[in-house]
Amino acid sequence: MDRLLSRPLNCYVLIKQVPDQSSKAGVNPDGTIDRAKAKRMLNPFDRYALQAALQTKQYGAVVTAITMGPPPAIEVLYEAIAHGVDRAILLTDRRLAASDTLATAYALYKTLRWASQGRSLDLVFCGLQTTDGDTAQVGPQLAERLGIPQITYCESFTLQGNTITAKRVIEGGVQILQTQIPALLTITNSAQRLAYKTLRGAQRVQQLQRDEQARSQVIHTVSLDDIGADPERCGLKGSPTIVAATEKIGEIGGNCQVFQGKAVGVMVQQLLQEVPLAKLQEAK
Amino acid sequence: MRHKILVHAEQIDGELQPIALELLGAGRMLADKLGADLEAVLLGHNISHLAQTLIHYSADCVYVADHPELAQYRTLPYRRAWVDLLNHLPQPPHTILFGSTTSGRDLAPRLAAYLETGLTADCTSLDIGPFEYSNSKDQSKSGTFHDCLYAIRPSFGESLRARILGPWKNPQMATVRPGVMQAVQPDYSRTGRVIPLAVNLQESDRLVQIQEIVRNVTSQVQLSKAEVIVAGGYGLGAPDGFQLLRDLANCFANSAVGASRKAVDAGWISYAHQVGQTGKTVRPKVYIACGISGAIQHRVGMDKSGTIIAINKDSSAPIFKFAHYGIVGDLYQVIPELIRQMRSSLRQAA
Repeated sequence: MDRLLSRPLNCYVLIKQVPDQSSKAGVNPDGTIDRAKAKRMLNPFDRYALQAALQTKQYGAVVTAITMGPPPAIEVLYEAIAHGVDRAILLTDRRLAASDTLATAYALYKTLRWASQGRSLDLVFCGLQTTDGDTAQVGPQLAERLGIPQITYCESFTLQGNTITAKRVIEGGVQILQTQIPALLTITNSAQRLAYKTLRGAQRVQQLQRDEQARSQVIHTVSLDDIGADPERCGLKGSPTIVAATEKIGEIGGNCQVFQGKAVGVMVQQLLQEVPLAKLQEAK
Repeated sequence: MRHKILVHAEQIDGELQPIALELLGAGRMLADKLGADLEAVLLGHNISHLAQTLIHYSADCVYVADHPELAQYRTLPYRRAWVDLLNHLPQPPHTILFGSTTSGRDLAPRLAAYLETGLTADCTSLDIGPFEYSNSKDQSKSGTFHDCLYAIRPSFGESLRARILGPWKNPQMATVRPGVMQAVQPDYSRTGRVIPLAVNLQESDRLVQIQEIVRNVTSQVQLSKAEVIVAGGYGLGAPDGFQLLRDLANCFANSAVGASRKAVDAGWISYAHQVGQTGKTVRPKVYIACGISGAIQHRVGMDKSGTIIAINKDSSAPIFKFAHYGIVGDLYQVIPELIRQMRSSLRQAA
C-alpha cells in the first residue's frame, strides 16, 4: 500500500439519500412513494463506495463526500463525516427536481468541478447504483463528462504511485484492470463492507450539528448558481427522458399452493407428491 | 430516409452472447413497427464470421469492427468504435439497444452522455407508440409525438412498472435485461450487408489495460444453465446456511446455488451467485427460494422459472404470492427433511 507522495491526493465520494424500502412509511396506495414521508437512508451501495474512498486515506488522501438532494439529504453527509470523510458538499436546488440520470450527471459534474477548484481531482467513487433508481448510469455518465476512465463493478483496488489496479466483477469472473489517476470507480456490493463510525467522527458530527460556523467550514451547501451550472441542463428541462406512465405490477401466479401448519415431514412429502423433484436427482 | 434500429451484438472470446440474439428479436419487432432497418454492431477480434449469424437472426446489416485492441471488452476502445460509427451515419439512429450486462451497463451510459441523449436502464419490455406530452413547467417539451420508443422497466422500490420516454432526441437508448426478450427463429437463407468499420483508437482510449481475466466457468455456467437453482436470502440468518443449500443443490444432477442481494450484501456469499436486479436473470426448471422474501428486485431475476418453490417462515412474505408451491416453516428443518426424503425415494427406485 505504498504510494509515493508527490502531491496530496484528493478523492471524492458521491452518495445519495434514498427511501428505506424495508419501511412501509410513505408508500401511497397506488404504489408510488411520497419521499417527504418515507423513511430515509443512505443508499446501501454507497456504503461500499464510502469504504473504498476512506481506504484512500491510508495514502494521505483528503476525502470529500458529495450529495445532491433536498435539504434533509445533509443527514447522509453527517453519516459520511462520522465514518471519517474530511469535507462534504450538499447540492440542493429546487430546479434539480425531476432530473434524470443525464441531468444528474451534469449537475454532479459541475459540483465536482467546483469542489476541486484549487485542488486536484484524482479519484471519484460512486456506488454501483442506487436502490431507488437502479440504473447504474450516473457513474459512467459522469466519467464521460469528466473525460476520465471509469472502472465499474469494482470490488477492490490498490494504488501505487499514480497507478490504480482494480478488480472488476464480470459475468462469471473478474478482470484485473490497471489505469492512471484520475479515474472514476463504481463499487459493487461485494466489496469491503463499511467499517464502524469512528469515535472522532461521531464527536465531530456532534460538534458540527451544534456549531453553525464550524459546520459551514466542513459542509458546503451550494445551489446551481454557486457551482455555475446551467439550469436549462438540470431538472426536468435538462432531462431527455421522463416517466410517462406507471402501473402497479400485478401479482403473477397468485395461486401458490402453500403447505403450512403441519409436521415438516408431512409438508415435504406433500410437496414431493406435487413436484417430482426426485426425478431431477443425480444417481449416486 | 429510413430509420435505423441499432443493437450492440455482445460477444465474449468469439462467442456471441444470447443477449445479442435477444436484442435482435426485440429490435425486429420495433423495426417492423417503425418500418426501419435493423442493424447490428459487432466489435471484437477475429469475429467477422459471426456477422452471418446476426443476419440469420434478422439483422438487415452488420457493422463489424475487427481489431486486436477490441479483443476483450474495454470501455474506451469500444466507446471509440461506437462514436466513430455514429459520427459517420447520415442521421442518428432512431433507437440503440444494449444488453444489461456488465459491459452494456458500462458502455451505454458513457455513450448516452457523449450523445447527450436519454437512456433507460434494464428494460423488460419495449414498444413503439405515440405520446402526447404537456407540462406547464416545461413548455418546450410539450407536443404530440409519433413512433416513440416505449422503454418499460420495473421501478423497483415502488413495485411499479414505469414507461420511460424520450422522444425529443434520437437516438433513444435503452439497456435490456438478458433472458427477457425472445430471439427470432433463425432463417439460414437470409442475406444482409456486412460493413467493415475502420478502427482509429486515440492514445486516450488506451488508458485502461487489462492485466488478467479470470472466468470461473463452473459457477457462471451453472447458474445460467442449471435445471435446478437453490437460492438463499437474508432469512438464512447466517452464512453457514449456504452450506445447507449446497447440500440440497448437490442432490440434483444439474444445479447451482443462487442468492438474493441482501445475502450478498451481508457478505455471506459472493456476488457471482446473485440473482435479480443487479445479478443474473435465470429461468431454471425448478427454483427453490429459501429464506427469500421475494422483493421485486429478486423476482424480476427469476420469475420466469418453470416451477418456483418457496420455503419461508413468514407466511406473509411476498414470495408466496408468485411461487407455485410453498412451505411455511423453518428452512433449517425443511431442507434436511427434503434431502432425506429425496434420497430415500432414490434408494427405493434403485
